[in-house]
Amino acid sequence: MSKAFAVLGLFDSADALMKAIPKVKARKLGRLETYTPYPIHGMDDALELRRSPLGGMVLVMGVIGALTALGFQYWISAIDYPIVTGGKAPWSWEAFIPIMFEVTVLFATFTAGLGMLLLLNKLPFFGHPVLSAKAMRAITRDRFALAVEADPELDAEAAKAALKDAGAQDIEVLDTPEQTPFLTSDFILRTLGGIFVACLVSGFVMFWAIKLFPVLPPMSHMQDQPRLSAQQASTFFKDGRGMRMPVTGTVARGYLPSATGTQEEATALPNPLPRTPEVFAQGKAAFTNRCAVCHGAIGNGMGSLTAAYGAKPANLQAQQFRDYADGKLYWVIVNGKNAMPGHAADLDENQRWAVVHYVRALQRAQNAKDEDLR
Amino acid sequence: MSKAVALPDVLREPLLTDGPMSIGGLDDQVLSATERTPPRAWFIALAITITAMTIGFGFIGYTIATGIGAWGNNSPVFWAFDIINFVFWVGIGHAGTLISAILFLFRMRWRNAIARFAEAMTIFAVMCAGIFPLIHVGRPWLAFWLFPYPNQRAIWTNFRSPLLWDVFAVSTYFSVSLMFWYLGLVPDIASMRDRTTNKWKKPIYTFLALGWHGSGRHWQHYEKAYLLLAGLATGLVLSVHSVVSFDFATSVVPGWHMTIFPPYFVAGAIFAGFSMVVIVLVVVRETMDLKNLITIRHLDVMNKVILGMSCLMGYSYAMEGFTAWYSQNTYLHHTFLNIIGGSYGWAGWLTIACNIGIPQLLWFKKCRTSYFWMILVAISVTIGMWFERFVIIVISLSQDFLPSAWRLYKPTMVDFGILLGSFGLFFTLVLIFARVLPVIATTEVKGILPGAQPETGGHHE
Ligand code: HEC
Repeated sequence: MSKAFAVLGLFDSADALMKAIPKVKARKLGRLETYTPYPIHGMDDALELRRSPLGGMVLVMGVIGALTALGFQYWISAIDYPIVTGGKAPWSWEAFIPIMFEVTVLFATFTAGLGMLLLLNKLPFFGHPVLSAKAMRAITRDRFALAVEADPELDAEAAKAALKDAGAQDIEVLDTPEQTPFLTSDFILRTLGGIFVACLVSGFVMFWAIKLFPVLPPMSHMQDQPRLSAQQASTFFKDGRGMRMPVTGTVARGYLPSATGTQEEATALPNPLPRTPEVFAQGKAAFTNRCAVCHGAIGNGMGSLTAAYGAKPANLQAQQFRDYADGKLYWVIVNGKNAMPGHAADLDENQRWAVVHYVRALQRAQNAKDEDLR
Repeated sequence: MSKAVALPDVLREPLLTDGPMSIGGLDDQVLSATERTPPRAWFIALAITITAMTIGFGFIGYTIATGIGAWGNNSPVFWAFDIINFVFWVGIGHAGTLISAILFLFRMRWRNAIARFAEAMTIFAVMCAGIFPLIHVGRPWLAFWLFPYPNQRAIWTNFRSPLLWDVFAVSTYFSVSLMFWYLGLVPDIASMRDRTTNKWKKPIYTFLALGWHGSGRHWQHYEKAYLLLAGLATGLVLSVHSVVSFDFATSVVPGWHMTIFPPYFVAGAIFAGFSMVVIVLVVVRETMDLKNLITIRHLDVMNKVILGMSCLMGYSYAMEGFTAWYSQNTYLHHTFLNIIGGSYGWAGWLTIACNIGIPQLLWFKKCRTSYFWMILVAISVTIGMWFERFVIIVISLSQDFLPSAWRLYKPTMVDFGILLGSFGLFFTLVLIFARVLPVIATTEVKGILPGAQPETGGHHE
């Protein structure tokens, strides 16, 4: 015969139960426990229970919740992603209070609820001996049980007598349940196998879900747009093109035709850029990169090219070019001349004119007058 | 010790049940409802609500497949039925938490009989409410972007936005209500577990009851947890609708930007929630033979709360008008005049009539205790509270600062379909709940029946 876990007696009213407790307690037979359909006033004192620690747990977790929410919001809003919205500073703590409050309540309630069930009451637990007692049906309905439980030994006969004397009916002895080994190798293998299969199945499902999900409507609506791409055909317009041709004479940005016609015709083009240090710097950079190799650093036609280069770059210091109109220099840069290649593709409008200014500066530097030195 | 002085009848707390009720009899009466085959009326009702729900989900499917252009929302009225319904349903939910938490803290013991149903209604209402922000975002499959989680786009949510506060408030509210409800259910389910002989139900109840066996030590922690949860839920219920009101109050739209909004919204929520509870309780009481447990006194008290809230609403409306006048702000003047005389003036007056006019009937005891009048008031409040949100949202948006942008809002069929669907969902869940779980918190009611507590046992400090 297995060891007795508890002796259980039933009472018909809460009053009778409460009166019986001190009588049974006086005999000091074991740990006393009650099983009742609803909480009964004064039970904590009768059973001499310590105060429930739940309040403290909830307080601590609530504070942790508040600090977590505050810290998280602070780190995100002020450190990791400081974006000013609504004109508020990154660290605008007033705005963080609502979420702090919510997270505090969330942490606190889950501590209260789950802490009570899982930690303090050690539920879910389906193996408690009382659950299989005959009296259980009555306990969750309308009767009140007092149990003397093994602590660690129990004299079942004495407990029975004590309960009987206290007025209990339907006295029942509950056996300690057989301890069946839980972690058998068979169980472990099955569990691991189950986990493996579950991982495999869910992995496949996720793989296909992630692959398929974004391309199914309506998730794909962003990709699949009812508009025509350039060069696509369409029956909407008479000419059968999806795109509209630009109006005749339209010029693309940055492609304004300049210095067309002959060099002579370009004479009158004025240099639109002011003579500022920035413009000279821009011109110097462009000249050094593009022109100096042929025309030399000071534009005297002595570039670093070897004789293998057959043509003779012009000496820009020559009187002829010092007398050149700005427009004519500009024309050469754009169109090139004889062996000189055009630079329209390499230099944009501003750079071309900046180079012109710089060539002028080079020319003046080589023919400096006395007052220039002052 | 001297004999206790007998209290005069008026001061003595009335019995909580009509007629004698034994502890075991309570189980038989309440829990047996889940064991009987439901009457034909239940099936008919369920068929109707499921049809409504299906229509609603059909329209939701249509919206998701085509986009929210299917709704009437258009510039400048970007918020309409979606947000109205959201605020409406969240509001309905408030009654449950109020009854279960705040009245618990105030030791209003009559609440025990109706707390369970009210809590269930909270959960169902918040579920209905939750649908609307989801479909309102247009691409619900990306709704998880609402939560701050590390992502490869390296962006975070904006914690200064009341819309984000709302995400936290409503999801917290739902989880906490669910926890509260489940905790209350555990001992009741244990009771059902030990009662049932059905071989299908037994394992389900066994699982759900988590092995509850009512030991003194468990009850001690349980009661503590329940008290703590009630305290926490009380703060929460006041915060949730306040946060919902921040969605409006922190914006600059005339008619929204008012400091009275948080308390005004909370009062309105309790108002609407209690009305819905009255409607459902009357039906439950009649059809489920619970007249002795959900007594006419319960309904009377509920109606008094509704009356009180109605007066608060009247005060809030008057304050809105006063704020508009006192602000000296042309735009606010205009919005307020629009409420009582603009294109939607009818909605404004309907709101005032339903929320402030008709509930005044409840000053009369005859109306508070007669089904006809209380249902009339409850339905009118439900309608009125829906229109109140319509007034706040649509009237303010349709004509704000820029007259060239003004436009009247017209809902489409899809809007109405989804609204209908949300009612369908709510009542479907209510009907199923009524037949599957104990509609009355039997454990709590047992504890307050006469003779349930020891006369001498324990000393009450
Ligand atoms: C590949 C070598 C080369 C480069 C680079 C080059 N040039 Fe020339 N350049 C020449 C040659 C060769 C000539 C002489 C052309 C001729 O025979 O008339 C010339 C002539 C000129 C002339 C005189 C044109 C005329 O009207 O007679 C100017 C001005 C000039 N280059 C400016 C420039 C400028 C400014 C740059 C820089 C943007 C530049 N060149 C880059 C080779 C080059």
